[in-house]
Amino acid sequence: MSTGLQCVSVSKHFGAVKAVNNVSFEVAPGALHTIIGPNGAGKTTLFNCITSELQPTSGEVRFDGHVISGRRPHELPAFGIARSFQRTSIFSNLTVAQNVWVSAFRAFSGTKVEVLRPADAHPEVTATIYQTLEEVGLSRYADAPATALAHGDQRLLDFAIALAPKPKLLLLDEPTAGLSRADTHRVMHLIEGLKGRYTIVLIEHKMDVVMKISDRITVMYFGEVLAEGTPEEIRANAKVREAYLGRRA
Amino acid sequence: MTILIASQLLNGLATGMLYALVGVGLTLVLGMLNIPNFAHGALYAFGAYFTYTVVNLTGSFYLAVLIGPLLVVLMAFVLESQGIRRLYTAHHDYQLLFLFAMALILQEAIILIWGPVGFSVLTPRALSGVVDLGFIVYPAYRLALIVATILITVALWLFLTRTNVGAIVRAGIENREMVSVLGTDINRVFMLTFGLGAYLAGLAGALATPILGLTPSMGADMLPISFVIVVIAGLGSILGAIASGILIGIAQSLTTIWWPEASNIAIYVMMGMMIVLRPQGLFGTR
Amino acid sequence: MQKLFNLPTLIFVVVLIVGLPFVQRPVVAAEVLTLGIAAVATNLLLGYTGMLSFGQALFFGLGAYCAGILTTRYGLSAFLSIPAAMVFSAAAAWLIGLVCVRRSGLYFIMITFAFNQMVFFIAYSWTTMTGGEDGLPGVRRPMIIDDQWSFYVFTVLVFLASLCVMKLFVNSPTGRILQAIRDNPARAAATGHDVGRYKLIAFVMAGMFTGLAGAIFSFVFGIVPIDKIDWRFSGDIVFMTLLGGSGSFIGPVIGAAFYTWLQETVSQYWDRWPMIMGIVFALVVLFFRTGIAGMAEVIAAKAWGKRSTAKAKQMEAGS
Repeated sequence: MSTGLQCVSVSKHFGAVKAVNNVSFEVAPGALHTIIGPNGAGKTTLFNCITSELQPTSGEVRFDGHVISGRRPHELPAFGIARSFQRTSIFSNLTVAQNVWVSAFRAFSGTKVEVLRPADAHPEVTATIYQTLEEVGLSRYADAPATALAHGDQRLLDFAIALAPKPKLLLLDEPTAGLSRADTHRVMHLIEGLKGRYTIVLIEHKMDVVMKISDRITVMYFGEVLAEGTPEEIRANAKVREAYLGRRA
Repeated sequence: MTILIASQLLNGLATGMLYALVGVGLTLVLGMLNIPNFAHGALYAFGAYFTYTVVNLTGSFYLAVLIGPLLVVLMAFVLESQGIRRLYTAHHDYQLLFLFAMALILQEAIILIWGPVGFSVLTPRALSGVVDLGFIVYPAYRLALIVATILITVALWLFLTRTNVGAIVRAGIENREMVSVLGTDINRVFMLTFGLGAYLAGLAGALATPILGLTPSMGADMLPISFVIVVIAGLGSILGAIASGILIGIAQSLTTIWWPEASNIAIYVMMGMMIVLRPQGLFGTR
Repeated sequence: MQKLFNLPTLIFVVVLIVGLPFVQRPVVAAEVLTLGIAAVATNLLLGYTGMLSFGQALFFGLGAYCAGILTTRYGLSAFLSIPAAMVFSAAAAWLIGLVCVRRSGLYFIMITFAFNQMVFFIAYSWTTMTGGEDGLPGVRRPMIIDDQWSFYVFTVLVFLASLCVMKLFVNSPTGRILQAIRDNPARAAATGHDVGRYKLIAFVMAGMFTGLAGAIFSFVFGIVPIDKIDWRFSGDIVFMTLLGGSGSFIGPVIGAAFYTWLQETVSQYWDRWPMIMGIVFALVVLFFRTGIAGMAEVIAAKAWGKRSTAKAKQMEAGS
């Protein structure tokens, strides 16, 4: 049985606009696959089809042998899928630890509704929270309000929420968007450290980052796949250079 | 029986046109602010009460109907600039609750200024009496009301669709951000739209005085109906508000023939069903 | 084992319970506690889940009429009709919630409003059952709690029990997930929580305890007035919640006390007391959105030099 992520002829049309047109690719388990392309290429729309924010007009998304397209977003974590957000998306009135709790608890207790015991009554969940905070480097802020964190740290918190349930598939939407050079390094270092342990699909714009960490790259252009291959293959691809990289690279 | 039905139909049309004015006013504000204006009923009531005062001062109903709604607009400008504007950056809920608080204050203000007892306003002499329509003899004022409100609605429609300002107002209702991006001072547009909505509510109140009279609770009674109109029409649809207002007015006056209590429950059931089955309303765009 | 309530809350509750019947007649003190339950319950929706409902009077009235009718028409004792009313309110909240909770904020407000009006007009017209415009009179208390002091003690017990249950609820995982939903529904869903299901749970809890409050209310004055199921009372309950402080668990009780003071005491001096309420409400919405409890916390933090803590920590610590 094939594991890993499969996009099979995924299309998303908005009326006459074909935002995503017949896109197919496969991501092997443990690989880091990046989707690049100029603005308007359809990367985010494709990403939203994978995360179930949008339903594909046609085609299928499969993970680990299960069909995940057509499901509602909150059903995806049950398949071991987690995502982060391009614009940092955290729970502003909770503490850092409580933020991570939201996903850690779900992984631990499934969909059972608990109303009697206190939220922090499960030591396993608490251990997971602190492990995850350790991994992203936010342990010392555990009890701080999430909004007290610096911009870059909030992005790390965003990842921590995605990482806590130890997902099989990580979907990261422009993880370095809006970050300073230093924070970009921190995030990239973190993601590199995750390689192999997680299957990762990434949308990214910063080419140096993309080339450095990707196992495979899919280049999108006007909603279609322009090219796919290893970083070296993509770098050498004339079509890609013309469409996207310009005379550089 | 047919005479009863015919006269109730016309009555329903008359109140329906008033509802339409109120409904369009609410649609404008709702589309722009994205919150239901809980003070809309109070603006309607003040339209009626200002009219009453001007009639008492000047003896002229026509002057009152002209001035009354304009005074309501003034009130609305103060409300918007001093109150709601402070809350544009806050959560929607607070704008709504502010307007709810204002509705409370305004209703009490009516009692303070004009007393707790209801009033009536006499129909202007030229329009009192009846008109023989052939199949039925019908009060002149109500006929005039129907005609006048139709004319006003047409004028409003022309303003919104044929003038630049009207286009900006409509655009603001559809897509607030876009309008400000295009360089228009969005605050001015808000004020204008809010004022226009208030004007329509006040005008409806003014015109209603000879048939419905005045009581301090008339605003609180009108408010829920205006919500129903807007929901059934579809949030953001001006034509829908007109149609929906007339529909509800006629539905109400016809049901009173057979089952008076049901007329009130029925409209809320209609509203509930619309939200469940067709949230965009009959004509809505969102 | 985490404490259920923090010290300031405990002190406030004790002072309130002991002091109220000396500041007001015991029957009015009971009214305060009843409205306090309704306000805290409504805050489960507003402060904890971020849902503004204009239909809470529906459940208050439903609970009141249910208990009142069971007692006056069918001779049930309060000890039976009150729990029955609570169950009835929960069921109604579940049915209505199924329709309402998945709607966005604007539609949610309009539809809770619509249901409120619908039920109001049913109560208004079904005069044989509800007494219509005149309300439902003659709701008699059982002998054992008939005098005003023992009834007050009864109300205190129900008040404390309700607070404990609702506090356990907000401290639980469900309570925290609701807060996550309030802060960021899209992220809460992306982490695997069924937002609609949790909102329904919150709606039922709020409706159930507001119904309980209404049920007890019918025995406070022995009558169910129709205005307690009117949409304007829905607004009043929200007012109480916000005035007291929607960011705190116990804050809404302060709002309920203030509202009752206006209604029972100020009304004796000025008929236009609702205007004061409207003005206070407008001021709260404009300038004091955290309510009395919120302001008290700021003052206390400054006085003791503590740094401000996260809202959730405060809520969970039981302020």
